[in-house]
Amino acid sequence: MSGFAAVLRKDLRLELRSGESTLALLALSMLVLVVLVFALDAARVRSVDAAAGALWVAMVFAGMLGANRALLAERDNGAIRGLLLSPLDPGTLYAAKLAAALIFMAVAEVGAVILMVLFFNLEFDASIARLAPILGLGAIGFSALATLLSAITGRTRGGDMLLPILAVPIFVPALIAGVKASGAALAGAPLDSMGDWLKIMIAFDVLFVTAGYLLFEHVVGEQ
Amino acid sequence: MSAPVVETHSLAKTYGPAPVLREVDLRLLAGAGAFVIGGNGAGKSTLLRILAGLEAPSGGHALVFGQDTRNLAARYRRRIGVMAHQSFLYPNLTARENLEFYAELYLLSDPRAFADQWLSRVGLADHADSRVRTFSRGMEQRLSAARAMLAEPALLLLDEPFASLDHDGAEIIASLIRGAIERGAAVIATAHAVPEIEGVEFDVYEISRGLLAEQAHKEEVRLSGRLRSLLGR
Repeated sequence: MSGFAAVLRKDLRLELRSGESTLALLALSMLVLVVLVFALDAARVRSVDAAAGALWVAMVFAGMLGANRALLAERDNGAIRGLLLSPLDPGTLYAAKLAAALIFMAVAEVGAVILMVLFFNLEFDASIARLAPILGLGAIGFSALATLLSAITGRTRGGDMLLPILAVPIFVPALIAGVKASGAALAGAPLDSMGDWLKIMIAFDVLFVTAGYLLFEHVVGEQ
Repeated sequence: MSAPVVETHSLAKTYGPAPVLREVDLRLLAGAGAFVIGGNGAGKSTLLRILAGLEAPSGGHALVFGQDTRNLAARYRRRIGVMAHQSFLYPNLTARENLEFYAELYLLSDPRAFADQWLSRVGLADHADSRVRTFSRGMEQRLSAARAMLAEPALLLLDEPFASLDHDGAEIIASLIRGAIERGAAVIATAHAVPEIEGVEFDVYEISRGLLAEQAHKEEVRLSGRLRSLLGR
């Protein structure tokens, strides 16, 4: 637990000091929402469906950026080797990196939801509160996947470009479930009615977190 | 006789078709020091990376504390200190924050006290609250040495520890190496040429890429006796 807390605290300290990731995540979310609000035809697409889609596009982009940033600091001066040489368990290192990526993504999500409500003329009501568990599940799954994949792509030339190519197709089932559940939540449906979508998201969360915890050691092993 | 801290048998490493290490046999006891000398690309850093468990050998065995380095458990990794070409430090953290972070990873009881103690030892107490990105190469090298020795490891692997250091910096590192050996640690360091460290006797091994590629390595690593006599002047 001490190693987990030390790595997480260090990542948050670095982020608070520079603010690079959070600002970049918020700017990217805003850009995606602005583009989509003007690109989608309000007469043909229900605003709640468009808002849900736009929100998830912003979330996926923000998630990739957050995961990349969380491991970027470890590549400076070969710090990842310092961590691997320490008694810290690689699974614990993954958990700390996942927690950091999740926190960055949660901050971006809060900003993105506020922007979504404003841009799509929605109301700050109970439907927004119902989004919280859906976005939470999505953030856990995507952060878990992106953190693992960024450890692989970070070792290759042009790895930043490779991450979306690998991550998005794998995340598609959970993404569809998230968009459908978010659309339903914004339309006022109760959480019970979207049980199947939530189950899909929970299943993918379990899969990605477990795979990340078990495989992280092997993907960062020989640096 | 105590068990060796480091022991390699016919250790080999290749990158693609190119052999970097061949048939390396090395043995080091607690409280002993060894310098591995050789030119650029001779395989010195590769040898240290294998001993640290950062790379797997292509052939042979590397044992540290009797354990295969391919899969060193946390309790053995804790006893190894590594100083590499890269400092493993975070440029946007201060010197103290860096050492405190590593002290926490190594489960030291009072990270702050350990950090301050080591900052004094490497002459960086006045720069404790400066970010590492503002450090000169030599200051970063000294801080890297403090990071490697923070938990008082039983095995120190130092890759060119005197590179980029001025006379005072080199004296500090030499003193730390001497102290580590005196408290019973085994030390393996690399260099392009044998440095002078008063009061300490080292075995010296020479690695040459050409020899490794074409001759049995056992001959060259047995140079220690001859080179040691040069050191004893």
